[in-house]
Amino acid sequence: MKKTISIIAFALVAFVTFAALVQDPANIKDELELGKKAPLTTVKMLDVSGKKMSLEDAKGPNGLLVVFSSNTCPWVLAWEDRYLTIAELAKEKGIGMIAINSNEASRGKEDSYAEMQKHAKEKGYTFPYVVDENHVLADEYGATKTPHIYLFDNNNTLVYRGAIDDSARDLSKIENRYLADAITAMVAGQKIKTTTSKALGCTIKRVE
Amino acid sequence: MIIVWIWNAIFGIHHQFNSIFMKLLYILLFSLIFIACGSANSDGDQNSNETEAVELLTDIASEEIETIIAKHNADGKVVLVNIWATWCGPCVEEFPDIVELKHKYKDQLEVVFISADFPEDRERALQFMKDQKVTWETYMKTGKDEPFINAISSDWSGALPFTKIYSKEGQITSYWENKASFETFETAILEALNVNL
Repeated sequence: MKKTISIIAFALVAFVTFAALVQDPANIKDELELGKKAPLTTVKMLDVSGKKMSLEDAKGPNGLLVVFSSNTCPWVLAWEDRYLTIAELAKEKGIGMIAINSNEASRGKEDSYAEMQKHAKEKGYTFPYVVDENHVLADEYGATKTPHIYLFDNNNTLVYRGAIDDSARDLSKIENRYLADAITAMVAGQKIKTTTSKALGCTIKRVE
Repeated sequence: MIIVWIWNAIFGIHHQFNSIFMKLLYILLFSLIFIACGSANSDGDQNSNETEAVELLTDIASEEIETIIAKHNADGKVVLVNIWATWCGPCVEEFPDIVELKHKYKDQLEVVFISADFPEDRERALQFMKDQKVTWETYMKTGKDEPFINAISSDWSGALPFTKIYSKEGQITSYWENKASFETFETAILEALNVNL
């Protein structure tokens, strides 16, 4: 009898755990779908400059570029040279760019506000870098890693999502400049050739 | 050194003996050298420990992933695939738990570690394997991110670490992005082992 109860109990625990594991955690949405509007655009977040700003504030006349990022992820560090060239391109094309740090679980350490300020200064960021408290935006956008790119047009509609290009560390191996091409096409009113792409990155450090 | 000495000695006595004898001597000498070299090599293999005999970090292309996983899935074993990298904090934190579980479930479980480290960090990854006392074959990603990510799972966004578990029959029983605890891993393994019940 005791053995049967143990087996049933174990089976129940295993089933529940199994079910939990293959489903998405409750509050993290799936990656925002193409064609959907940018959510939470009026939420004010603290920028490294000391100002509070929202996505609406960062938006440009021709669109908005959102980059979920962090201070230490080697994938971010590898692509950071292109953060700056993309920023130039975005500015030229009238697109507002904003970097967001959603790593709440390391907010006490490497992703603190002070570290963000230091990082932005060191890397010469020419765009805002804001604190996404409790990863509220990351959850709503379904952002899973850093870097994770979302490009919106002037109507706040998502037109491109994923990676900057297809080679993080080796510039000579880049074959597809996904983001640069998407920005150029979008502003020229042309069809974007590749609308989503995938790349490796560090998980966003969410609190339990 | 010895060979040089022998060679000089042979030339020294060459003119003193007839050619047939010399030919036989040369044949004997080369045979001895050949045998000596041969046994030196095999002695080396036998003396090296298990870790060095196993290819710890084999390069793997995206197209090969499915085959490799199927290979490990053969012989009625559960397969745990874990994508990690040396620079990925959570990956490194959960790694020893997976190694421990591999030792615990021995012949029932195959662990397929695939490093997503940059190619220039290969030595670092190899050293990490040795430090973690991994004694079985593991793999290293080559080529572009996107085909690799999709070959592992179309439901994976590319965030590290990533774990995917197959039952003995090759069914996917669970997968997740993010670090997991020893208990979570063990429960998932047990679930995969018992799927037929």
